[in-house]
Amino acid sequence: MFSSVFSGAGFWDAGVWLLMFVFVGGYAFGIRRMGRSDYKKGTDQDEVYYSGNVMPDVDVFTVPASSSYWGFREALKGYYSRLSAMHTGIATEYVGWFVLTAAVILVLVIV
Amino acid sequence: MKLEKYLQILPKSLWVFTLNTGSCNGCDIEIVASLTPRYDIERLGLKLTGTPRHADVLLVTGPVTRFMEPKLRQIYAQIPDPKVVIAVGNCATSGDVFFKSYNLVGPVDRIIPVDVYVHGCAIRPEALIEGVAKAVTLLEAKRAALVSKTAVGEGA
Repeated sequence: MFSSVFSGAGFWDAGVWLLMFVFVGGYAFGIRRMGRSDYKKGTDQDEVYYSGNVMPDVDVFTVPASSSYWGFREALKGYYSRLSAMHTGIATEYVGWFVLTAAVILVLVIV
Repeated sequence: MKLEKYLQILPKSLWVFTLNTGSCNGCDIEIVASLTPRYDIERLGLKLTGTPRHADVLLVTGPVTRFMEPKLRQIYAQIPDPKVVIAVGNCATSGDVFFKSYNLVGPVDRIIPVDVYVHGCAIRPEALIEGVAKAVTLLEAKRAALVSKTAVGEGA
């Protein structure tokens, strides 16, 4: 069913890969089954440990990945503010932009 | 497969979470001393853990200040059953000289149930080791009770 791909360094076989996936998955499942399950679900034992304090809302202490672009966005604020203003989310306006751009290109090509 | 059903002894080492509820740090230093090569409590299977969710034993020092009370309750609630609480030092066991202080709500057994009391100001590592040995016995009994309870529940 599966054919092997041979390279100079070895081979890759989808069947072997799937077999390994099943083997490793079964092994991981076995380890997971051996884990303790005597904690009470739905109680504080399920909560994240936050030094004994009540967990604040996720928004309060989460630093989103987009924060890493803060400097970039700040430097190009003028450009982005204009671009964002143009993105109204109204489909007819986008079609209008498309028609307008097509017309401009057409004029440039013909003239 | 549940190891608890087949093993006569504890299926794992004691994982201990320590909490300072307003101690002067004297007892905490002695806890650390018990981990040093001279006493080496880890050879008996005791291991400190960074979260109560992995712990079997809660080691509490200090007389429990008003500020620490909700934290003590929360941390106790986060330890999975079966669990054992050891009150370490005179402050934790009785409040000691701070007993009537306006800012204390302790000692520890006023807030959460305590299983083992280790006295001393500060405690000696030998006393702590004896306390932990008693905690092992208690924990084994609690675990056995829990396992048999679960087995009865499964059989019903």
